[in-house]
Amino acid sequence: MNQAEEIFALSGIRRTYQVGNEYVHALDGVDLTIHDREFIAVIGTSGSGKSTLMHTLGFMDSPTGGEMIFEGRDVSSISRAERARLRASRIGFVFQAFNLLPRLTVMDNVTLPLVYSRNKVKDKTARALKALQRVGMEHRSTHTPNQLSGGERQRVAIARALINEPRLILADEPTGNLDSKNRGKIMDLFTSLLDEGITLAVVTHDDEVAEYAERRIRMQDGKIIEDTAGGAKQ
Amino acid sequence: MNPIGDIINGTTNGLAEVWTNKVRSLLSMSGIILGVAALVAMVGIVQGMLTNMRASFEMSGGILRLEVVPRDAPESQRHIAGISPGMTWRDIGAIQKAIPLAAFVTAEVDMRWESFIVGGRREFAFLRGVSPDFIDIYQRELEYGRFISDTDIANKSPVIVISSRVRDAFFRDEVNAVGQQIRIRNQIYTVIGQFAHMEAMVGGRNSLRWQNRMNYIPATTAMARYKGGDEVDKIEIMARRVDDLPDLIEQVSNTLTQTHRGIQDFEIRTQEEQLQEMRKLENSFTYSLGGIAAISLLVGGIGIMNVMLASVSERIREIGVRKAIGARSYDIFIQFLSEAVVISVLGGLIGLVASVGLLSLARDFIPDGESIQTVPVNAMFYGFAFSTTIGLLSGIYPALRAARLDPIDALRYE
Repeated sequence: MNQAEEIFALSGIRRTYQVGNEYVHALDGVDLTIHDREFIAVIGTSGSGKSTLMHTLGFMDSPTGGEMIFEGRDVSSISRAERARLRASRIGFVFQAFNLLPRLTVMDNVTLPLVYSRNKVKDKTARALKALQRVGMEHRSTHTPNQLSGGERQRVAIARALINEPRLILADEPTGNLDSKNRGKIMDLFTSLLDEGITLAVVTHDDEVAEYAERRIRMQDGKIIEDTAGGAKQ
Repeated sequence: MNPIGDIINGTTNGLAEVWTNKVRSLLSMSGIILGVAALVAMVGIVQGMLTNMRASFEMSGGILRLEVVPRDAPESQRHIAGISPGMTWRDIGAIQKAIPLAAFVTAEVDMRWESFIVGGRREFAFLRGVSPDFIDIYQRELEYGRFISDTDIANKSPVIVISSRVRDAFFRDEVNAVGQQIRIRNQIYTVIGQFAHMEAMVGGRNSLRWQNRMNYIPATTAMARYKGGDEVDKIEIMARRVDDLPDLIEQVSNTLTQTHRGIQDFEIRTQEEQLQEMRKLENSFTYSLGGIAAISLLVGGIGIMNVMLASVSERIREIGVRKAIGARSYDIFIQFLSEAVVISVLGGLIGLVASVGLLSLARDFIPDGESIQTVPVNAMFYGFAFSTTIGLLSGIYPALRAARLDPIDALRYE
């Protein structure tokens, strides 16, 4: 098998917060390489640093130390505006609480990232419909989020994450608010995205969800203590 | 970056946001609505008043009128002041002959308060002797008859042009009083003309009310019957153009110095002072009203800022979501700023509509309301521009607060 292309290469990544006079090391020297079309589950207890890792990978936050390469480019200390541009164009987020805007229709929620990515998309509606079809929600485009079930909302959120054709989708406990039936459906949907050239990273503490992923990373005290791919690769 | 697209987007989103929160938006607009309505209405009313004030100034010859009145000779000439004949009818002739720049010249002989008798009824009224040019300087309108003519002056005719007040007192039953006779100090005067009633309301009073009480006879008749000489109390001269005034003043001064044998026992007064007074009044109105309007709009702006700050704290999570899916701080800033501007622009527009209503009401309720414009375009433009600026300024701080939120913190916010 050919070595897949590297998306992310993190080495010695640190994220330190100052709380009063104390320093909290949310990430304490993380080395991690993510390849194209990987499906990674990040697991760990709360406070282990998995959320901080997701924020760092999603350009919501910058590391305070170490080196971070994204698509061959050093992104360790880029500006806020540049991070926003990368979030808009390369990353899709899926949240535990769905985070759809309640006043907008499903259609408007899904097209919202197009406004910020400044993609010159001629027919935004057609593109949004395609994304909604992909998650099986096109029949609900004129509804508002509070008219949908939890599973449906998460599907819409995934459509929103897909609209800018991202390289990487980051999901933070995407099934945390769902029953087991919907959990399975959502995870199947995620798995099917891999075939379209999308890379997935899911933060979870649900072992069943982690089972879907081909690679599992366990974190503790800001460090990666187990990486199922790590052993094979090194 | 695409500023025009951002503005269109911001406006659309702002309108949608205002529509979703109708009551809140209306409440936050109320300050601006009242501010703009009050500003435009007050300026409209004051402009109407000032229009009347100017009109009454213009009706007395305006800035083009000069007054010559007698005064004591200066100290240095006092011992020889007796050689001057004083201000006399001959001065009128001299000015008319020597100064072509003087368009109109009239003498004024003031008899003040006289008792008028018609058929046993007695009324007191003002009486003055003047020249035919008087009616041109004061632009008085005759309802019936004619004004004093050169022949009346030459013949010292016993004729009188009466005021609307005298007409009302004696000749209420006749429409036209011309030809009637009035006894004043045992002399019979024939009515040859009758003035139209004049009105220019300033602050609820007719500023031309004195004109409606003045009755006029030929200056020569007045001099012969009351003064026994040829002295006049005042000379009034009207220039054709403002540019002529300096030359006219100099020429009048030279001519009178000659007829008065070098004695400076007269004074030439211009209307400049009255004009200055009027301008001062205009300015004080403008500044005091502007101040009140500025304060009320400022209060409106604070209202908008308050609502926008509340709106930002209410939507922290939304801001986090928007940032997570790629919104830059700039996008969030524009979003909240345009919302503030939309609120203030809508408020301003509603205020303008309200001001038209207020001004129409004012026309009906204020005694001299007819001169009030219902649509004072200038005031409306300034009121609207000011309210929009206030909205823009009051939106900046809340929008900055929204834009500076950290996306991770904002997403965690419950």
